[in-house]
Amino acid sequence: MPKCLVCYKWTLDEKDIKIKPEDLSLDTSRAKGKISDFDRNAIEEATLIVEQQRGSVHALTYGTSAVQQSLKDVLSRGPDTVYWIADGSAETADACVTANVLASAIRKLGSYDLILCGEGSSDLFNQQTAARLAALLGLPCVTYVEKLSVEGDTVKATRKLADCTEVATVKGPVVLSVLGTINKPRIPSLKQVLGAAKKPKKEIKIADLGLSPEQLQPKSIHKSVKGFVAKRKNTVYKEANAAANVGKLTSSLAAEGLL
Amino acid sequence: MAGIFIFSEDSALAKQLLTPALDLKQSLSQSVTAVTTTEADAKELAALGADKVVVLQSTSGWAEGLSEAIYNLVSTAGAAIFLVGGTLRGKHVAAYVAANLNAGMSTDARSLKIEGDKLLSTRLLYAGLALCDEELPLPAVATIPPRTFLPPNAAAKAGTIETVKAEADGRVAISDVTTHAGTGVDIAGVTKLVAVGRGFGKQEDLKLALDLAAALNAEVACSRPVAEDEHWLPIERYVGISGHTVKPELYLAVGISGQVQHMVGARESKVIAAINNDEHAPIFEAADYGIVGDLYEVLPLLTAAITKK
Repeated sequence: MPKCLVCYKWTLDEKDIKIKPEDLSLDTSRAKGKISDFDRNAIEEATLIVEQQRGSVHALTYGTSAVQQSLKDVLSRGPDTVYWIADGSAETADACVTANVLASAIRKLGSYDLILCGEGSSDLFNQQTAARLAALLGLPCVTYVEKLSVEGDTVKATRKLADCTEVATVKGPVVLSVLGTINKPRIPSLKQVLGAAKKPKKEIKIADLGLSPEQLQPKSIHKSVKGFVAKRKNTVYKEANAAANVGKLTSSLAAEGLL
Repeated sequence: MAGIFIFSEDSALAKQLLTPALDLKQSLSQSVTAVTTTEADAKELAALGADKVVVLQSTSGWAEGLSEAIYNLVSTAGAAIFLVGGTLRGKHVAAYVAANLNAGMSTDARSLKIEGDKLLSTRLLYAGLALCDEELPLPAVATIPPRTFLPPNAAAKAGTIETVKAEADGRVAISDVTTHAGTGVDIAGVTKLVAVGRGFGKQEDLKLALDLAAALNAEVACSRPVAEDEHWLPIERYVGISGHTVKPELYLAVGISGQVQHMVGARESKVIAAINNDEHAPIFEAADYGIVGDLYEVLPLLTAAITKK
């Protein structure tokens, strides 16, 4: 009966972020939060394993006070308990700080057979957390997993890389990162949403993790963030007559020397 | 703290890493050490300007399992910068080493330079929506995507080669390695692409795009859902943030809405054209030319018009 812990990040939904034309800065005022895309796959995978084999799934998140918005959402997706760490340091945290905080919290929470992360977060996509956690916790690590099976304490994980797949076999405890293709995260049913309200949400105070100020100081500092604006001609043919549009497009492409 | 270290398990990428490494060598006046696992790569890297090449000799061919051994090399030397080829294996190794060094790491750096006593890297955020200048104190780790740099020219003087025995991580056993049976098409290298998206109702309809591609002498690419959700086309044809980045002369997107996750892989194309029935689809903002219309009506007309030319 595996004990699983899933680490997830509450991120801004990048679909709602707009680029301000005057200075290319990002307008996040309309962006809602979401559980980072691939972290949903990690949550789903742990939940599927536990639904088949029993055991438990805990979720762990570190973020600003906004993470509290994620708690019901994450619990409706399967985990029995969520542990949350809300601290201002998360505002500028890089992968180094995030791993320091999560690793300290995991040491405090006790031992897990499987620690799962998404491949990378939707916002920063650093793709570092799983390997960093494994290094800090002294655990083996299998990244970029697209198929997972657990038998007793043996974990078999099929990894998908650019040019091959391979099967990694390892005895837990192990840290895993999963790909978006590993499963299709469920859309929580009404019953699951209502059930989530009754599940425990436990706060971990960052002060209780014994971290030094240095460990909460990001190494990577974002000096400037600018929206990427493509300079394109934006010539759009939209007459009712499709043949006329096609004629114009072929002329344009021919003028570019492409036909 | 001194030394620029590089590592990639991918021979071509390892050579490409030498270009930014030699550039940083100029700024920092520090030597470049390449870490590799094969004698053949070692000779080439030494010839291309690595001052020193360390060949890790181990019984395991699994690069990730050498993370600890690579960390030991980098940390014993007190390296200031560690550049890693940005394959998935490379990112695993890099993040492990960065954690043990207690160092920052820039993932998928597009450019690197030294400013003062910091490493400045440019990378993408929010699936390509934004560009970010990221500053890291030394020691710093960065991964660099394939084909970001060309390999350097041969150096005047070849570097030295040293072989070191390395212990692999015995906790993880690797088996059933299956190389993808690709169709041999590298869409990253072609001059014209017709890319298909969710606007197609069913797999058979892709014939319209195949016909157009044939008329244009183009290859067919696709958006993520077409490859990963529908499985209509192989993964190797998918363009986007976790798929290919392409730079063709012409990128003709058909039935693709133009979400940033897709466009980040296509926006370095010389000319982008789009066909979509939704006038407000973001693809038109990212395109040079576009037709608002039903692809089922437009494609046959377009194929016929191009065939006639």
